[in-house]
Amino acid sequence: MYAADVGPQYEGERIRKNEFQVEFGGPDVSHKGELVTVKGLGEVEHEKITVSGPDLKDLPEGFSGPLFIKVEVAGEELEKDLEAVLERRIHQYINYIEGVFHMAQRYDIWIRIHKNSFKKGLNSLEQIGRILIDLFTAELPVIEKMSVEFITDPAKVQNLLVEALKVYKERDERIKGLREEDVDEFYGCVLCQSFAPTHVCVITPERVSLCGAINWLDGRAATKVDPEGAQFAIPKGNLIDLVNISYDNVNQVVTERSMGETTRFSLHSALSYPHTACGCFEAIVFYIPEVDGFGIVSRDFAGPSVTGDPFSTLAGSASGGKQNEGYLGIGIQYLTSPKFLIADGGFNRVAWMSSALKEAAVENLPPELAGKIATEKDVQNVDELTEFMQNAGRL
Amino acid sequence: MQKMRDAEIKAIIRAEDAWEPVGPTPMPTLTELRNWDFRLLNTYEPFYAPFCDLCCLCTYGKCDLTGNKKGACGIDIASQQARWILICSLMGTAAHGAHGRHMIDHLIEKLGEDKKIDLGSQVNVEAPIIRTVMGLKPKTLGDLRKAIEYVEREMIHLVSATHMGQEGDYRDFESKAFHAGMLDHVALEAADIAQIVGYGLPTSVADTPLVDLGWGAIDRTKPTIVVVGHNAVTANAIIDYLRSNDLYDQVEVGGLCCTAHDVTRYAGGAKVIGPLSRQRFFLKAGLADVVVTDEQCVVTDIPQLAKAAGAAMIACSDKICYGLENASARETGEILRAVLEEQKQFLILDPEKAAEVIVRAALELAPKRRAQKQLVTKEEGAMLAAKCRGTCEECNRVCPNLLPVSLGVSQARHGNFAKLGELFMRCHGCAKCEEACVNHIPILRLMQAAATWETYKMRSGRGPIHDVEIRKVGSPIVLGTIPGVVLFAGCSNFPGDIDDLAWLAEELARRKFIVTLSGCAAMAAAMSKDAEGKTIYEKYIPEFDAGCIVNVGSCVSNAHVVGAAIKIANIFAGLPNRANFELMSDYILNRVGACGVVWGPYSQKALAIGTGAVRWGIPIVLGPHGSKYRRLFMSKKEAGDWTVVDGRTRQLVDTAEPTPEHMMLVTETKERALVTIIKQCFRRNDTPPGRAIKLNSYISAYKQVIGGLPDDLQNFIRTEKEIPIVYKREVLAYLKEAGWQPKPVLSLPTIIGTYETKVPIEATIK
Ligand code: SF4
Ligand code: SF4
Ligand code: SF4
Ligand code: SF4
Repeated sequence: MYAADVGPQYEGERIRKNEFQVEFGGPDVSHKGELVTVKGLGEVEHEKITVSGPDLKDLPEGFSGPLFIKVEVAGEELEKDLEAVLERRIHQYINYIEGVFHMAQRYDIWIRIHKNSFKKGLNSLEQIGRILIDLFTAELPVIEKMSVEFITDPAKVQNLLVEALKVYKERDERIKGLREEDVDEFYGCVLCQSFAPTHVCVITPERVSLCGAINWLDGRAATKVDPEGAQFAIPKGNLIDLVNISYDNVNQVVTERSMGETTRFSLHSALSYPHTACGCFEAIVFYIPEVDGFGIVSRDFAGPSVTGDPFSTLAGSASGGKQNEGYLGIGIQYLTSPKFLIADGGFNRVAWMSSALKEAAVENLPPELAGKIATEKDVQNVDELTEFMQNAGRL
Repeated sequence: MQKMRDAEIKAIIRAEDAWEPVGPTPMPTLTELRNWDFRLLNTYEPFYAPFCDLCCLCTYGKCDLTGNKKGACGIDIASQQARWILICSLMGTAAHGAHGRHMIDHLIEKLGEDKKIDLGSQVNVEAPIIRTVMGLKPKTLGDLRKAIEYVEREMIHLVSATHMGQEGDYRDFESKAFHAGMLDHVALEAADIAQIVGYGLPTSVADTPLVDLGWGAIDRTKPTIVVVGHNAVTANAIIDYLRSNDLYDQVEVGGLCCTAHDVTRYAGGAKVIGPLSRQRFFLKAGLADVVVTDEQCVVTDIPQLAKAAGAAMIACSDKICYGLENASARETGEILRAVLEEQKQFLILDPEKAAEVIVRAALELAPKRRAQKQLVTKEEGAMLAAKCRGTCEECNRVCPNLLPVSLGVSQARHGNFAKLGELFMRCHGCAKCEEACVNHIPILRLMQAAATWETYKMRSGRGPIHDVEIRKVGSPIVLGTIPGVVLFAGCSNFPGDIDDLAWLAEELARRKFIVTLSGCAAMAAAMSKDAEGKTIYEKYIPEFDAGCIVNVGSCVSNAHVVGAAIKIANIFAGLPNRANFELMSDYILNRVGACGVVWGPYSQKALAIGTGAVRWGIPIVLGPHGSKYRRLFMSKKEAGDWTVVDGRTRQLVDTAEPTPEHMMLVTETKERALVTIIKQCFRRNDTPPGRAIKLNSYISAYKQVIGGLPDDLQNFIRTEKEIPIVYKREVLAYLKEAGWQPKPVLSLPTIIGTYETKVPIEATIK
């Protein structure tokens, strides 16, 4: 069908320096990028693939240079907010191609094409465009029209990049500024019910899913793309608990989807009606009564946490789709949310974190607290933690 | 009586221990899981291929059982086949059980029965099989002995059922064979935990060291001891003796078969020579100064082989005495004298004493055997081959394996031994070629020499899968986004199987399966290098995760892969496993995409392991020799009954999809095996994105190794969303032609509730 085989089995392939025919972007090339733009149905010429500048077959073996991938899509259901989600698929789908590797995103991309695939006939970027269009439209029927342009001409890449940087920035600002208050809809996910039958994930602009894989935009995209899938929209309804942040319609949906097991979710509390967890969480927040504060430990943390319980033991208490006060499974990104555990006091209530997590949270940590949250490097058990907290003036 | 037994069981498993409530089937007896077995057999009917249609088990016979004929006792051919399966499974279970018993008794003698079981910080659920089957959470070596006692108790009843004129229905024989298989797993787990605890083997590290494998790994200048078999008690005693006498670096200890796995877990410096299929070759080559046998899968003419090679030989197991004098009670010095001066071979059942005799004999013998340990060098090899022009091809004509011997020999003439080394892997060692060679070229010696120049890297066995690893992969496995967990077990006795194994393991790892290997299969898979000279163990990460390759260890370590499947249900999904066999098996059958592969021909032990796996809901794919198994479990595909209960609605639903399609089937080529293994990892619980990934593997592999689209896609695609995007157009066109209809997708499928059982439906959704 294509010159090189295509499929998810090729994701994760590495292509070493002496193995590539051509390389685009990467640390040694200053100009590179990719951008998806949603346009009107009349503005996109479907299946148009252009290569501006020298193509693979025109470039010498071992060449390394600039590239910009410009994708335009149109469809009745598509909206601007989905651009970022679609853009990430470029990474995924290019990696599907045997002997082609794609790393990073936006202005930072790095692509290599293996000599073997080149020899097999993958000698034009046009073929990659063809594959992209086929995969995008097969997976996402909401895309009615799509065109792809590969630009290898250095001057043109430079110009496009300037424009793209503005777009990335706008997008970031919009998503960063997005609050639960600004939107009418949250998203739910019940994919994990196949092993935690009563668990429901609620995903808001300020609460990434506990598996870390789905943020609010992804949820939005998923419900558009696949209305019958495991993700669904939850019109949030009315805020009925200002402190613990609970919405009536969210509770209604959770009740239905959990087969009555859970009737109320506080969206940002580990202590009162906490969000349930299936077992996929990247990290666990757990209450430590001795210091009236929380510990947070991630899945990669080997050995016992400050209470002596390793992740695996804590996970047993946090998972199973049942509310267990004092335990909350979270996605690591939640540490950077403005509403992080806001009902319980946010970081003011955090006493201990594994050091890797503390690093991940750093931008969201109130500066005065940074030195006052212990890690495994500071304390080994609850007694030491108590002392640490006393010395820090927090107890 | 039942009451008494209940009280006894409660005491054995310490029912009052509150780690989990005791489930419905603690320490099940012969009939307690019979309904579950029959439920499986309803969908997966036994398919028999008798080797022999006579029976001569008792003196009423021999009885002719062809056609509709019955034996004097009334048995028919199907039941007779099933009886053989039971008998062979019992042999396998007994081999592992006795191994466990020996190991545990020995360690209790050394360390006391209160020696605590601690598998390190990464493993909380230490014994998923024993917990599930018995309802016991073993805390000490003494508790592991209870597990073996349970196995022994059940076995006596099972063996009894094979007597003439007892059981009379093939399904009941199969149910009993399942029971034997399940007991086998209990024994495996007990034995491996015992050795981990007793010998301090690594358990909480994934990244175990790479060890040398192959003849080339042995330093022939050192005294060389080779241990053959599966029970490392004596081998470890040898290591201890060497260590305490400062000899560890001066003596080579190599293993053939599973003892090799276990001894390298104990001592990283020990060498793995190879699997069962290499026993004779190695011993004939004479590199070993002392040959030591323990138990199971040890060729029965080792005393003669050792004698011919001028090596000393000590047998160390009461299961393999070879007619030798039992010297266990004699003085070490006296035994040693007889060994060295009279070339006598002995049986020594005291491991410490045996170890001393063996090491001292090796030290004495090695200098005298230097000449015998000389192998042909490359230059000499080229000289020996000099007369061959590769044209008369007499050798090729007589080779029963149809090997291109002439090609190997004529290339060796120019100093290129690659082909000859390759031939060696497929050669049976019959020496017919040598006999036929018009130039009297010592072809076998040349081949052996070529093979001894090779060393391979194998990762040493790592033992249990960690609880945290289970948490990480639990969700993608159950959702179906990790396409499957595959275990390669058993012994690949025929040399040609060796390349196939490495190929299969790599093809699956490349497709993001979790690949695990054990026993001789783990060794065989190491004996194949890529263009850069790397084995799969050097190329793939040794974690229990997508796209990784794990050597769990020897045969007894097979338990850990079944254990991992149970842990997914227990730790990850949080279902109680204590005395809850059906609940765990139902979960595995419907939701954990695991598949066992037994590629080469196998001993009875592999039969027991495989039969046990089926009872747990894990399908088995057999290699080309699989028909010798004599019994397969096959469904009627689309025509079968695929009704399950939807845990969400409690309604019966006809899923109309045959997954897993078969519970035990034969594949004739490695290509067929690849696509079949991928398919056997489909589960009813797969989410649509998960099924799409599994189907993508299936279709891409099929296209790659067979060609075209598989002709049964319509059975496994439930909704359009599951069609892998890469093949969407093609598959849609095919489905249309095949008259495909969408099928229901359930998130909580269970067969609990489709047959009579004590397990309530509620239990499956917790
Ligand atoms: S953990 Fe992730 S995949 Fe699972 S239900 Fe939540 S959002 Fe969905
Ligand atoms: S066991 Fe039955 S079939 Fe076999 S020889 Fe005896 S009477 Fe005949
Ligand atoms: S010794 Fe090996 S190569 Fe020679 S005839 Fe026998 S099987 Fe063939
Ligand atoms: S029979 Fe001997 S001489 Fe003839 S091809 Fe074979 S190895 Fe060479």
